[in-house]
Amino acid sequence: MAVRTSSAPVALPAQRDRSGTHHSRAWRVYRRLTPWLFLAPALLFFAVFKFWPSIWGIWLGLFHVQPYLGDQWVGLANFSKALGDPDLRAAVGHTVLDAAVQVAGSMLVGFLLALLLEGAARHVRILRTAVFLPAVTAMVAVAELWQTLLYPGRYGAVNSLLGDVGLGPLPFLSSPHSSLWTVMLVQVWKHAPYDMVIFIAGLVGIDRQLYESASIDGANAWQRLWNVTLPSLRPITTIVLILGMIRGLRVFTEIYVLTPGGGPGGSTESIVTYVVKNAVISNDAGYASAISALLLLTTIILTSATLWWRRRREDA
Amino acid sequence: MALTAARHRVMAAAAAAICATTALTACSSGSGGGTATADASGPLKVWARAANDSPKAYQAIFDAFTQKTGIKIEPFFTLTDFETKLNAAATAHDLPDVVVNDAAQLGSMKTQGIIREIDKSKIAGADKLAPGSWDSASDLTGKTYAVPFSAQANLLFIRKDWLSKLNLQEPKSWDDVATIAKAFTTQDPDGNGKADTYGLAVPGSTSRGYVSWYWSTFLWEAGGEYFTSAGGGKFTASVNSSPAKQSLKWFEQLFCGTPKVVQPSALTDTTTETNKAFQTGVAGMYYTGPYAFATMDNSAVKGKYTVVAPPPGPGGAKTLAEGTNIYLMAGSRPNAAQKLAEFMITPEAQNIGMTKVPAATIVRLPVNTTVDAASAHSSDPRWTLAQQVYKDQGHYEAVNMPNWTQLRQATSDDINKMLSKCGDSDAALDALNTKLNGILKDQKVAAG
Repeated sequence: MAVRTSSAPVALPAQRDRSGTHHSRAWRVYRRLTPWLFLAPALLFFAVFKFWPSIWGIWLGLFHVQPYLGDQWVGLANFSKALGDPDLRAAVGHTVLDAAVQVAGSMLVGFLLALLLEGAARHVRILRTAVFLPAVTAMVAVAELWQTLLYPGRYGAVNSLLGDVGLGPLPFLSSPHSSLWTVMLVQVWKHAPYDMVIFIAGLVGIDRQLYESASIDGANAWQRLWNVTLPSLRPITTIVLILGMIRGLRVFTEIYVLTPGGGPGGSTESIVTYVVKNAVISNDAGYASAISALLLLTTIILTSATLWWRRRREDA
Repeated sequence: MALTAARHRVMAAAAAAICATTALTACSSGSGGGTATADASGPLKVWARAANDSPKAYQAIFDAFTQKTGIKIEPFFTLTDFETKLNAAATAHDLPDVVVNDAAQLGSMKTQGIIREIDKSKIAGADKLAPGSWDSASDLTGKTYAVPFSAQANLLFIRKDWLSKLNLQEPKSWDDVATIAKAFTTQDPDGNGKADTYGLAVPGSTSRGYVSWYWSTFLWEAGGEYFTSAGGGKFTASVNSSPAKQSLKWFEQLFCGTPKVVQPSALTDTTTETNKAFQTGVAGMYYTGPYAFATMDNSAVKGKYTVVAPPPGPGGAKTLAEGTNIYLMAGSRPNAAQKLAEFMITPEAQNIGMTKVPAATIVRLPVNTTVDAASAHSSDPRWTLAQQVYKDQGHYEAVNMPNWTQLRQATSDDINKMLSKCGDSDAALDALNTKLNGILKDQKVAAG
């Protein structure tokens, strides 16, 4: 990138050789530094606002945090508390289930939407924009609408429709048995369009000739999808999966605004809402930091594992 | 609340970012806070937990103070993340001089060492304050750590048009409340031919500990308490006493009996949604504070409801009392800070707080006994009742525990869980009692 644009006199190798080793070493140092100089503003920004706070957060996990009186060193106590905390274990269970279902659901719906809405025609573009709207709408506003639509009483919009066909009323967000599933449904609605856009980008990149030769070979639409489209989308699928997994593990806004306080009977408490509860309500920033550090570690391990697995499969 | 934090990968990282950036200022400024005696110069920094129209009302009081004393005030108002922001300021050792916040934060702020003890005898006008209001301003050993600013107690709001349609009388007991709730649910009090009304509006979410907060009235009315004192600032949890069990059983009936008489979304509703349920004719009764007069009168329910004292339970008449306190922070201007506190409890300031901004009664009930709430509100008899109920029935939460919000959260989590499963309320309270004792131990106030 930046290296190539530097005004290096590449056409004059002889001249550089004559000017001696000293100059060429300075040149090499300069060349090696250039990309870093270009990266510096962004790196500095990340260092101050991401890397340093993350490291500081992990460090805080080793303390009983008392902002004014001074922090107390507690060693690994917060971490061992986290490992034996039944509420956290329940939150992990909800988060993993939520992540698995909503990532799979969003990918499936997103992929189907992508197949339907790929193309450059004007009406498709308008339709695509309409479908993409949930992904760009503020979650808090969206949650407010969904809460109203899904009101558990007879006169809730969805329930009154269900009532017309003799069903319900369903409790949706207000029962511990259905709250998490309802949240997942809203998440799929919200994230599927986002996945769709990435899939469309992938679909556009597939060589048309592959389809043509498959057709000539007598493949029907289903076979073309299975043998051409899907294998070609493998790298894109990896990206969507990893993004979804990260999003799933740190799920917060949807759950927090749809079911404040962890939902009925704590049925939608996720890892991050539990972290917030500990940091803000119990005033235990140390414990909250410890859980966050464990979450970060898990995310890194899972992401690396997925990448490694994909790479191995693609190499094979 | 912490919605913006959602964008960060890790909540703590966000908090730490504030710490990290502000810590430098603390080091360079070199001010240690603590026990300064001479006042620094510059405006007095005052933080108040307020939003919407409330800041205007606070500003009116501050302006009057500045005019009187010449002391300038630099106010900061926020509702969202008030405590988080205060934590950041504490980390930076750059605390405001005065904080106006819920009484429920007293124990927590004291434990953090960010508020200073107050010598009641040196506060001008302290003798004019209602003795009960000081209950919410003292710690477990009886030392005073705040000056009360405003008080309130919950009343029972009832749709009087529904009552008269069904030929019912105002409730005088728990049984009456249950009977009316049932009638409101089953007898179509709004006459639209649909079974779409409910008896009681309940904010049953665990968020901010709402369900425990609401249940407290019934706990105390049954004769129960959250804790019993073992002396010397030590406590034992007592939520598994038989009055406590009786009250939760009664409360559970509202959610799990036939018919279910609370609004359908009760278990996930905070006060915002619950207010809406009462305003829009979903539910016909609601225990809430006098601050809701303005909220309700701004909606379609205006003129259609009446307020009564919460009817007594088997253990007598009690109701949830709450307060707003003025905390003098461990900052650098103790004298000016105290002057502001003294001004805020004068009849002048209390009246401004009650009436200057009608949509925001930041002084709900005056703590100053020489001020009459009803006459301030153009002889509205509801305020007379509110003042009377506060005096006769008001019961504060255990706000002086080292961290009451944590205890309340644990209680809410368990009660909400039990209600959502319609489970065994006695067993739930036995389990909760053990849990609360564990937290008391963590907070170093457990007996034995």
